Amino acid sequence: MNSKARARLVHLLISKSIVEALLIAGVAVAFFFATTNPYLRGVLDTADKTSVSGWAVDESRPSARVELQLFIDDRFVAAAIADKFRPDVHEAKRAEDDWHGFVFSAPQLPAGNHEARVYAVHSNASGARKTLQLIGKPYRFRIE
Amino acid sequence: MITDRSLAAWEIVSVISSVLIAEWILSASAGRNKLIIAVPAALAFVLIIGSHFLRGESLRDLGIRLDNFLPALKLLSLPMIIIAGIALLIGFLSGARPDFFRWHAERLIIFQLALGFGWGFLQQYVLQSFMNRRAQIILGRGTASVLVTAVIFSILHFPNPWLMVVTFVGGVVWAFVYQRQPNLFALALSHGVMTWVLVSALPPSALNHLRIGLKYFA
Repeated sequence: MNSKARARLVHLLISKSIVEALLIAGVAVAFFFATTNPYLRGVLDTADKTSVSGWAVDESRPSARVELQLFIDDRFVAAAIADKFRPDVHEAKRAEDDWHGFVFSAPQLPAGNHEARVYAVHSNASGARKTLQLIGKPYRFRIE
Repeated sequence: MITDRSLAAWEIVSVISSVLIAEWILSASAGRNKLIIAVPAALAFVLIIGSHFLRGESLRDLGIRLDNFLPALKLLSLPMIIIAGIALLIGFLSGARPDFFRWHAERLIIFQLALGFGWGFLQQYVLQSFMNRRAQIILGRGTASVLVTAVIFSILHFPNPWLMVVTFVGGVVWAFVYQRQPNLFALALSHGVMTWVLVSALPPSALNHLRIGLKYFA
């Protein structure tokens, strides 16, 4: 194999690697947007022995109600829609109307420390995948 | 300066990476439209064919010829009979009845065998005309390059354990025969027939429908 052919083969190998790297990067970005909604906003305001409440808005579709799931101590508790009256969210210009709050009834929990997490349910464009996306931050609370 | 051996190793790794990208990344993220899997496959073929031209390899060198078809088939026949016998024995011992119409039962068996030959030809072309020949540039003709070719073939069938064992054994036989009688038609025939025998003889659960990569878990 002469040096010219060798150099061409090296160029071919490098070009192939660059195209594959770009392909994988494109797939990674597409996969991120298929499984994540970067426009979801929300806060888990309070959690105690009786209820877990907060608000959630999808800023890409501000009039839509966000589907949520509550987990306490990593166990599924309940599903709900963020459609409760929260005028403060509207006043803060985070939503287009007053109806983006959520309130879950807390289950019977033993005394001690607990952690509540609320996730938004996100479907990809084809509906083939559903993923959960954390709303706000986990809320730690104690039951005496 | 890049030597011929390091260049050959780079070529092998590059084609393996294309297959792994297709098997493990794109098949998982492609959704219903699997056309994107053709991209790394096309890139691999551009590299393989370009490499043949740049290295001055003829069709005859690659094994696309007919003059040594019968000698190659003769070399393949004994190991094929032994492997088929072992597969039938394993199937019998595991309580599975051989069913020679099981392989894609919705299709005519003659059509499925023709597809098996075509798919076998494609796989043997990549495995022998490219991988085996590049392995020989690195390690020379003989046991080491035969084993490297077989290990590559087996790894590409990860994580299907039975298929990895079968492809390693098949890879050793095919790479050994190719180094003595390079004939892709004989290897493709052997590939198609052995796949048919294994699918028919072994319990269906063992080969998991020949699934590999992330699809193995589907």
